[in-house]
Amino acid sequence: MSKLVGAIAVAGGGVAGIQSAIDLANNGLKVYLIESSTSIGGKMSQLDKTFPTLDCSMCTLSPKLAEVSRHPNIELLTYSEITGIEGEAGDFTVTVKKKPTFVDPDKCTACELCVSKCPVKVPDEYNEGGNDRKAIYLAFPQAVPRVYTIDAENCLYLTKGKCGKCVKVCENDAINYDDKGEEIEINVGSIILSTGFEPFDASQLEQYRIDHPDVVTSIQFERQLSSSGPFEGHVTLSDGTHPKKIAWIQCIGSRSPEIGRRNCSSVCCMYATKEATVAMEHDPDLETTIFNIDVRAFGKGFEEFYQKAKNKTGVRFIHSRPSGVEVDPQTNKLSLKYELEDSNGIRQEEFDMVVLSIGLTPSKSSKQLVNIAGVEMDDLGFVKTMIDRPVETTRHGIFVSGSMKAPKDIPDTVADASGAASKASSLLSSERGSLVTEKQYPSEKEIGDEVRTGVVVCRCGINIGNVVDVPNVVEYANGLSGVVFAKEEVYACSSDSIVGIADMVKEHDLNRVVVASCTPRTHEPLFRETLMEAGLNPYMFELANIREHCSWVHQHEKDKATKKARDTVRMSVSRANLLQPLYKERVEFDNSGLVIGGGIAGMNAALDIADKGFHVTLVEKMSELGGLLNTYTTLQDGRSTNEVLEPLIARVGSHDNLTVLIDTELVELEGSMGNFTAHLKGPGVDEKLRCGVCIIATGATELMPEGYFSYGKYPNIVTQSKLEHMIDEGISDNNVVFIQCAGGRNDERPYCSRACCTVAVKNAIRLKKDDPKRNVYILYRDIRTFGRWEDLYTQARELGVVFMRYTEDKEPEVGEKSIKMFDHLLNMDFDINYDLLVLSAPLVAPETNESLASIFKVPLDSNKFFLEAHIKLRPVEFANEGVFLCGTAQAPKLVDEAVSQASAAASRACTILSSDFLETIGNVSVVDPELCIGCGRCTLVCPYNAPELKEIVVETEEITYNTKKCEINPTICKGCGSCAVECPTGAITSRHFTESQIMAVIKAYGEGL
Amino acid sequence: MANISKGLIGISIHIELFNDNKSVCNMSSNIQLCYQCGKCTAICPVRRVINTSPRNTIYQANVYEMDSDDIWNCLTCNLCYDECPQDVNYPEFVRENRTKKDRVGAGAGSRVAHNGVFTLLSDMMVDLDKSRTGINEKGNENSKIGYYPGCLDFQDMFFNVDVNFREIADSSMELLDEMGLDPKFLQMKCCGHDQLWQGNSITFDKLKEQNTKLIEESGIETLVTSCAECYRTLSQDYDLPIKVVHISQLLQDADLGIDSDVNVTYHDACRLGRHMGEYDAPRDALTNSGASITEMKHNKKDAWCCGISSMMNCNDKSKALRKARLDEAKDTGAKVLITTCPKCLAHLTCMKTEQDSVENYEYEIKDLTVFLAEQKGGKNNE
Repeated sequence: MSKLVGAIAVAGGGVAGIQSAIDLANNGLKVYLIESSTSIGGKMSQLDKTFPTLDCSMCTLSPKLAEVSRHPNIELLTYSEITGIEGEAGDFTVTVKKKPTFVDPDKCTACELCVSKCPVKVPDEYNEGGNDRKAIYLAFPQAVPRVYTIDAENCLYLTKGKCGKCVKVCENDAINYDDKGEEIEINVGSIILSTGFEPFDASQLEQYRIDHPDVVTSIQFERQLSSSGPFEGHVTLSDGTHPKKIAWIQCIGSRSPEIGRRNCSSVCCMYATKEATVAMEHDPDLETTIFNIDVRAFGKGFEEFYQKAKNKTGVRFIHSRPSGVEVDPQTNKLSLKYELEDSNGIRQEEFDMVVLSIGLTPSKSSKQLVNIAGVEMDDLGFVKTMIDRPVETTRHGIFVSGSMKAPKDIPDTVADASGAASKASSLLSSERGSLVTEKQYPSEKEIGDEVRTGVVVCRCGINIGNVVDVPNVVEYANGLSGVVFAKEEVYACSSDSIVGIADMVKEHDLNRVVVASCTPRTHEPLFRETLMEAGLNPYMFELANIREHCSWVHQHEKDKATKKARDTVRMSVSRANLLQPLYKERVEFDNSGLVIGGGIAGMNAALDIADKGFHVTLVEKMSELGGLLNTYTTLQDGRSTNEVLEPLIARVGSHDNLTVLIDTELVELEGSMGNFTAHLKGPGVDEKLRCGVCIIATGATELMPEGYFSYGKYPNIVTQSKLEHMIDEGISDNNVVFIQCAGGRNDERPYCSRACCTVAVKNAIRLKKDDPKRNVYILYRDIRTFGRWEDLYTQARELGVVFMRYTEDKEPEVGEKSIKMFDHLLNMDFDINYDLLVLSAPLVAPETNESLASIFKVPLDSNKFFLEAHIKLRPVEFANEGVFLCGTAQAPKLVDEAVSQASAAASRACTILSSDFLETIGNVSVVDPELCIGCGRCTLVCPYNAPELKEIVVETEEITYNTKKCEINPTICKGCGSCAVECPTGAITSRHFTESQIMAVIKAYGEGL
Repeated sequence: MANISKGLIGISIHIELFNDNKSVCNMSSNIQLCYQCGKCTAICPVRRVINTSPRNTIYQANVYEMDSDDIWNCLTCNLCYDECPQDVNYPEFVRENRTKKDRVGAGAGSRVAHNGVFTLLSDMMVDLDKSRTGINEKGNENSKIGYYPGCLDFQDMFFNVDVNFREIADSSMELLDEMGLDPKFLQMKCCGHDQLWQGNSITFDKLKEQNTKLIEESGIETLVTSCAECYRTLSQDYDLPIKVVHISQLLQDADLGIDSDVNVTYHDACRLGRHMGEYDAPRDALTNSGASITEMKHNKKDAWCCGISSMMNCNDKSKALRKARLDEAKDTGAKVLITTCPKCLAHLTCMKTEQDSVENYEYEIKDLTVFLAEQKGGKNNE
């Protein structure tokens, strides 16, 4: 490559594109984020809640939207499409066509006057046609950028030359009918494709009657459930009433070779379960039924969520596909006819509403983009990748992530996106910082002694506004001591409101700001930055949570909710009045990495860090690299594991930036992000290594399923990994039976091990191909060959592998030569003779996880796998900064997913390593050494291991003695204040939650009694 | 093969499953792809009247290589095949299994409608060298286009219903003449459709061989049939070097100079519709002639059965299907119910005209060709 450009074009502004953009921008690269619609956010912005935690989708996404819009290294090109790509890796010229919006973003103040006057109503795409929008519109309230757009296809002026009302009412001359859009060329070193998927068009399957108003797609239902949707979260039928009985039909447009949609869509089983669960939370009397073929709850926490929905919430799951949706011509009522799962009985059942769980298909625009990019597609219509290079397309320098390469859920998409960012930034690592500018804030103004507090009360659309009397709260706030100005906003977090807050600070010479809206967890960083832009110290800010604490929990008691909101605002103002500026410290750090675990994940993570020019040490406790994959011999794409492992191990061994230590274990870790000291021990190794970041890639192991299905009792019972070696060596067994979920999906291990179905089907195919006369039976509970691996399942069936379902209450009983199997379809017991029984045992967390978790001070989940910071949006990091995870250490997964996560962890880690210095937060806890008696209680309560007892000599008038006193490491401390609460002498102060501030809040609370 | 023995508690079946490679593999019916979603059973028209379960039958065959008598219930109407997400061809499976079953055996014969008289006739036809259709017509013997009437003569002979089947042949010839096609009247044997689907492949193969020879000798280039079953069989199950069309496909674009204003409804025969994908031709032929069509609730791909395909199962169960179909036709308010298959015509008419009927269906039931020929000749007023 002759030339390298330190910029990257990211195509697609969904959660994948957003994550890639943020990672790359934080790695010092310039990013053009190109999105064809008017706002970034993608499909995730339309979701109500996310499975399996039921977090509000928009609430977790919108801070990321805001981060993108405010990041100095990201240039947002919305309403734009890529029309040409020339050049080669390192130096591409990308042609981008910007469609005309007909509104000048610099002049528009988003006053919405135009919207109220626009006479044209168009079905609202964001709400999936559930209501109307105008021809001049904003895609959704939190849209980024907050730029109004005229829809040229529907605007009366642009189509017929009539109307022009928006021009007349616009006070800022922002409307420009002559906008022609423009075509620009950008020069980038790499391109990431992440334009996502398109929901399957259900009208292709006429028998499911999407034409009927009470038959809706799952995404339409998602909007119905959402409080920002067309019915404010109340699921509503076409006649205005609310349904009592809802059915979901799965696999609409998935697992259907008949219509050319062979793949499983991976997410539908879970979103249907989620939708049913949430709908039942809204209305406990609601009856919900999910018609499925297999329930594919394969991800982390999914099986548990499914079991809870089935057994506790009461969602009915039926393994049967209705013939279609029947509509009674007289009553217009819906009914479904289906075959019962445990007999051949037929039932016709009425439902008020039917939700079609539509699959994820490659979008038309993605296909065009793929052609422009000149990358290959696979035979399912997704972008072609290899499982050991999961984010690399067939064209060097162009990467791909998310559901453009296969249907996948949000965490897998986010991991993919970070993985793609990692590969792109490795390619351009020498150009880091060449094209970026650092964000400059105005210098802080003097705050003086006078308290001048401003209050903004947010309506959060209807979330707060429909319950809490917002004008009343504003009026009340205006009368509080210290408050010089108060106002309300529809969305305090929207881009224009943010500008408004900064203006408010200047106009009223404010020195403290209280926003009464939602949780500080998601929105505090945004508002703090707003203060910085207004020349205020970011810690002069206080959030009053009147959504979670008031409008949501007291939605049926509006008066009380309003009173509580007044109380909350009063308490927040009392504290805000006492806030003082706090300052961050810059800390030197070590920009090298440490990766624990030399499996495929650890090796890839280490290589990705090394490729970016940072030194990394890879530690493996066994005497060879390869990890879990060493126990298998083939991959699910048919290649041998050696074909992937050997070149990888060779690269790891020869990389200049990479040190490998085998037979070595981590025994102790001190320090914090940027400055870890790892104590490594092994034969001939006993060293204390300094590093800035750590990645846990310690993997998982296959359970030896003692006690399940007579394993260990008879010699001819083996696990899948053993079988793989046996096949390689040649086996003569004629009758081979597999039993799935051997030791998994039970009380002891309630999770699904995700990979076993694909592994089993792969091995069944091998056995059949090895000897077509051989009989292979797979006894299963649900076949979970998700995504593209559905093809393997079909192939196994084609080859004559026989699949029989069993249920957990009647498991197969294994004897020495035969298996007693209850066939629930025939309602009979059968004996199956076997020569070889293969158990698909789950991957389990190694016992060493517990000690490793305590060394790193990171949490484990209930199944003893490592628990990431956020199951959706932070899949490869811990809350404990500077420590990351990837591969099967996080949860069971397939090779491509482990590799993708490995790159993602490296990408996230390198956002730290590529900085010039580390900054502490300002609101740390500090110790008054004179008051500290060295009791050490603080060290017991700190979740981050920030306090450390250090030896000190105390000299008094007469007595001198040795003791210990606490020091708090400011780079580790998160300012949670636990230590301050615990400290018996009051030696510790949490600087942002001082005693006087807390007392003021309590006093303010008392005033309301 | 399966070795079945009774166990102690309930039914316990011991199966030596693993003697040799499963015979279900690589069948053209694809049944090994079935993941038991049960959509087939839920959508099956027969299931509306008999406790049949394609899902279970497939499953038993897949897993246990067990036979099921259920295969005799299937009308092979193709609705399940059309709708199966995995493209499993259950009707094909049924046909293959019936073939394996030696249909002539005691059990099978009694299941076939009308005591198997039509089957017997076809069997006999194979051995009688000179056997041809009983309709004594020749047409233009030098024409490159041949019209084949199917077994209309037998139907006139053995069906005691108020239908003149021969009229279909006459009307077809008349309409073909009207279009200037000047066809030859083909003297052939039974096409073998029923034998094929009843599982009598031996007779079918002989009929196919003999008919293929007759067709080759006739010198025609296009074979026209007015029967949906003949059309499917001759074009799909024969390997003819010539073109086979259903007469509706010729009538589709023909200008017959008819200006009818009759409101009709159209019953899709399974062989013309789902088997051959021809939904538009008969409809176009009707509307081009001025007729207006009011569709029944289930039409085109979703059309319900007449209940008799391949002469399987003419009983009170299949009659229930006919009743449902006739009721749907009644709901349209149409004056005439049009079909393109003589078997549909026979059986729907049979029910309509039964003695002391509980149901009263005012509309007429006619074959497409007969209807059009009547409209052409102004016979409506007769």
